[in-house]
Amino acid sequence: MSDNVDYDGVVRMLKTAAEKIKANRDYLSKLDSATGDGDHGTAVFKVAEAIIGVIAKDNSKNLKKLLKDIGWAAMSTDAGSTSPLYGSFFMGMSEAIADNALLDCKTFVSMMEAGVAKLRKNTKAEIGGKTMIDTLVPAMAALRAAADSGKNLGQTLADGADAAAKGAESTKEMKATFGRAKNIGERSIGHVDPGATSMSFLFIGMKEGYQNG
Amino acid sequence: MTMKKFINKPDNLTAELLEGYCSAFSNKVQLVSDKIVMRLKAKDKKKVALLTLGGAGHEPALSGFVGEGMLDASVVGDIFAAPGAPKVIEAMRLLKRDAGILFVVLNHAGDVMSGNMAMEMAQQEGIKVKMILTHEDIAPGADSPIENRRGLAGCIPLYKVAGAAAEAGKSLDEVYTIAEKFNNNMATLAVALKPATHPQSGQEIFTLADDEMEIGMGQHGEAGTGRSKMLSADETAVKMATQLILAVKAKKGDKIHLMINGAGATTQMEMFIVYRAAKKYIQGLGIKVVHSLVGEYLTVQEMGGFQMFVAKLDDELLKLMYAPADAPYWTVR
Repeated sequence: MSDNVDYDGVVRMLKTAAEKIKANRDYLSKLDSATGDGDHGTAVFKVAEAIIGVIAKDNSKNLKKLLKDIGWAAMSTDAGSTSPLYGSFFMGMSEAIADNALLDCKTFVSMMEAGVAKLRKNTKAEIGGKTMIDTLVPAMAALRAAADSGKNLGQTLADGADAAAKGAESTKEMKATFGRAKNIGERSIGHVDPGATSMSFLFIGMKEGYQNG
Repeated sequence: MTMKKFINKPDNLTAELLEGYCSAFSNKVQLVSDKIVMRLKAKDKKKVALLTLGGAGHEPALSGFVGEGMLDASVVGDIFAAPGAPKVIEAMRLLKRDAGILFVVLNHAGDVMSGNMAMEMAQQEGIKVKMILTHEDIAPGADSPIENRRGLAGCIPLYKVAGAAAEAGKSLDEVYTIAEKFNNNMATLAVALKPATHPQSGQEIFTLADDEMEIGMGQHGEAGTGRSKMLSADETAVKMATQLILAVKAKKGDKIHLMINGAGATTQMEMFIVYRAAKKYIQGLGIKVVHSLVGEYLTVQEMGGFQMFVAKLDDELLKLMYAPADAPYWTVR
């Protein structure tokens, strides 16, 4: 496997990630019913379906265009704050790359960083707030560290996925200060955050999609 | 208890309710592009347009206030969930005009995200639009940061004064200034008695013991500040009115608008009893209640409880409140 990833490679990664999220719809809603209004599985399911739908229709072979279309479709899903957060993530990735880009490990990580930067413009949540940020921050730090230390893309994605999973798990002991879960304050402790969990599935799914390529 | 509601497929709720609403009031509103409720007769393009966005499940809000003298369009999301920015920018394109658009957003995370993103796109496309954020909930404290204060039913009288100003031919800056004046002089406090069921998940959005009430509850079951044993109508009304009057800093001789907005399961009877007690208390302070609304404007499914809203009115705002309007749920002739 070459260490560069092209349109087809990213499509495989995103498809696997979206399928993983779809398969966990009920699990995520169940997590949400402990701390929120029980609809996170449905919300992120809609986003995953949007990703798969855009991929199925796209024949541009242009990653920049694909990611922009995914961003737009994710934003259109009317899934509460899940839509603009995921939507801006993909839009930010699209804005960071050139038409017909072929990505090496470092440019891939830079693209992801641009996506997260755009996502974070939408929320004041910081690490420790029991949100998807608790998955994103450690996962991105792991991606950056692996890429800078010269690891190949496969190892880098694996490091990112591990950090994402640990980040999601870390929300269990946190008290929610953002999102609807903050309504229950102390009672949110002991439950893993559904938004942090679905975001970890994205990283894990992308890793699996790359490995199986 | 299992959910007991007259619904069909949970995924089709918003589409079906919008179909029904727009056909029931087909002489006043129309549905455009699935999720945009627009006036049937478009306003003169020389006048400022008024646009809002928000989740469904709060009927008649927000689309019930689309009509002459109020909103030009409302962009609807899913149940309790904001519409995405692409639909909002679509509505902005439909309303695009040299006079500009005033875009009213209620402070809820999803609404603000979609609103900000649509604003960014509007700027890129050269659409003239100004955004105003309502955040009049005083449950976290009247002085707490804006991001902690939710936008509740106060958006509705704000549509009224801003809509009337737009109809009078005022410029975007002038309409914005009037709306912001109203925005900075209004306050809402909610009280909940009984939970609502989320019509898609079938789950209750919060729990309260049989003998408890909660002051400060948000319109999606967000926790309030004052869970207590049930109080009488008069005790509840005075407790809430006291905090609201303090929040808007109304003093003797001031004029205010008072609204009791039912959450869905509280009867009109209870609302009038509460209204009467609140008004007596306020008038007793030497403050005049010059405009009132009592009824269901922004509901939360079958939640028990109500929102009490006050706004200080000067002569300009009072005149705008009485200006003609012809929306399905607010008519002034």
